[in-house]
Amino acid sequence: MAGLAAAVAVPRRRETLRRWRPAASMFDLPPTGPFVATLTERHADGWYETRKQTVVFLDKDGDEYRALSATCTHLGCRVAWQPADGHYKCPCHGGVFGRNGEVLSGPPPRPLVRLPVRLNPDTAALEVEL
Amino acid sequence: MRALFDWLDHRTGFRTLRHHLFDEPLPPGTAWAFTLGSLLLFGLTLQVVTGTLLALFYAPTPDHAWDSVRYITTTVRGGHFLRGLHHWGASLVVVTAVLHLIRVVFFGSYRAPRELNWIVGLVLLHVILAFGLTGYLLPWDQRAYWATVVTINLSKLTPVVGEFLADLLRGGPDIGALTLTRWYAVHVLVLPPLLFGLIGLHLYLMRRHGISGPIRPRDGVPETFFPYQAARDLTTAVVVGVLLAALAWQGAPALEPPADPTSSDYVPRPEWYFLGLFQLLKYFPGRWEIVGAIVIPGAVMTLLALLPWIDRARSRGLRERRWLLTAFAAGIAGVATLTMLGARDRPAASGGGWNVREQAGAVLLRGDTCATCHRADGVVPAIDPARVSRPRDWVAAHLIDPEMIAPGLRAAPASDQHDMEAMLAALAWGRAGDPLPAVDADGQVAVLFNRHCLRCHVVGPVGGTEGPKLSDVGARLDETALIRQITTPREVKSDGEMPSFADKLSATEIAALAHWLASGRSTAFAAAGRGGSE
Repeated sequence: MAGLAAAVAVPRRRETLRRWRPAASMFDLPPTGPFVATLTERHADGWYETRKQTVVFLDKDGDEYRALSATCTHLGCRVAWQPADGHYKCPCHGGVFGRNGEVLSGPPPRPLVRLPVRLNPDTAALEVEL
Repeated sequence: MRALFDWLDHRTGFRTLRHHLFDEPLPPGTAWAFTLGSLLLFGLTLQVVTGTLLALFYAPTPDHAWDSVRYITTTVRGGHFLRGLHHWGASLVVVTAVLHLIRVVFFGSYRAPRELNWIVGLVLLHVILAFGLTGYLLPWDQRAYWATVVTINLSKLTPVVGEFLADLLRGGPDIGALTLTRWYAVHVLVLPPLLFGLIGLHLYLMRRHGISGPIRPRDGVPETFFPYQAARDLTTAVVVGVLLAALAWQGAPALEPPADPTSSDYVPRPEWYFLGLFQLLKYFPGRWEIVGAIVIPGAVMTLLALLPWIDRARSRGLRERRWLLTAFAAGIAGVATLTMLGARDRPAASGGGWNVREQAGAVLLRGDTCATCHRADGVVPAIDPARVSRPRDWVAAHLIDPEMIAPGLRAAPASDQHDMEAMLAALAWGRAGDPLPAVDADGQVAVLFNRHCLRCHVVGPVGGTEGPKLSDVGARLDETALIRQITTPREVKSDGEMPSFADKLSATEIAALAHWLASGRSTAFAAAGRGGSE
């Protein structure tokens, strides 16, 4: 019975396919701070079909672009950009990240995850690999 | 009659059972401090009853959980009170369990020969906390969702099995439908039998060794449980029950908006009895986080479990155990301090009013375009945000795409992206319980402001940051100056980026906007702002 319980209750791990997804137009980016892009896609959640939404911060980094995951590396809360202070702040345990995603203070153990980003020259869309 | 009872007793032995239960000899001096165990039993029974009643109406799926809890609160007869009882009952159980534990430590009741029962009690405390944790997710609102995100990420810190544990708790790659069914199953099917079994064992061991009684044994004849101690137990249960009912009459805390994994302005906080742990996590940055999350709580629990063997005193006397009791009291004070610090770190009060975007959306939702179909005698019911069960992107398409709404209908309710965002925001906020505000002149201005200004200017908690903040612009500029700024911005500031709105808005509209900004009405929205500002 324990074997049956373990076989059924332990979820199987599936590798998700990474691919490039359009996140925003390059013209959406304001000069003053990062742009919050929400990527939506169909997503099978057990029997339930839903839309998985991923939040990404898009920002200019010199001539390049930068995409940061909005998930705090401490315990997974959603960080928010503080325009007045010029940094990202996590509302849960007060972690603070710089514009590059580096940890400035608080409990986060790692910088915000940097996602591969590229500019699609045909559509002017910034694409993020997720 | 007596013959009937004799017959029953012969078949069931109920008289022996009654004698065993009611005539339990208690050491002299057993008093009010010993009613906590019974009170806990009362609280747990109440949770089982109210939980079963809630389960009659609850649906554990992401698309229905929130709605079913709202239905319980607003529509089910007595549902408001029922959910209040279950919510406050959970707190009662945690408080009573901790008081019971403190009583056992100070009375030295954990000492030989009751070591095993002490361990069983500690396991029971964990089962109770597991009930709290799994029950918390079930309403599927923002609070529930984000508390669970943190819990599951915390479990990852467990050495060796962390990732496996997180997978097991999540049930799938992300927190979603499979997590909800899993936690519901644990809450209603796995934990209750565990609880009943452990309570049975706890009571069996308690009877086997008898109640420890007062710290210094007194002379005298043992008194029976019934009626003396039973009367005290009943009194405590009635008094606490009345207090609980009074609390529950106010209902459980209001549901927050439905779980939204993308929201960035939500400030999550755990239930109060986890606030101490929550606060502890803040003190251990980076790779030390495991100390706050696992090492300290684990060490405290291990020390507690080993208490009967750590205590080498010759008797239960307070003086002989003073060092141990001082350390324990310091520990309790530490937990209380952390809990209080955690409670003080509250986010800016949620609630409040409608921000300018939501107000604009509410006005648009009440507009003629929507009312073509959505009205009392229309083809579809009048708009009630609380009853919208379609996903956000369906509603977005419905608002902006006339062909989707009804082929042939040419006027879309949302004239552009800004209108659509506003209407979605109004539906989301209205869904959390606030009725749509009435349409007044300010509301009409809010629509204009949302459509033309909010992209670049902040008012209250919303808006873009490209232009200056307008929350308190009335203190700096008067109406005339504002009209000039809106119609001929380059005359005011030649190198400014603000375009002129003279050709986009009528003179009346510009005057209304200027009046609204100058009169400080926009600051009302700033005051009503929620979250975001710390």
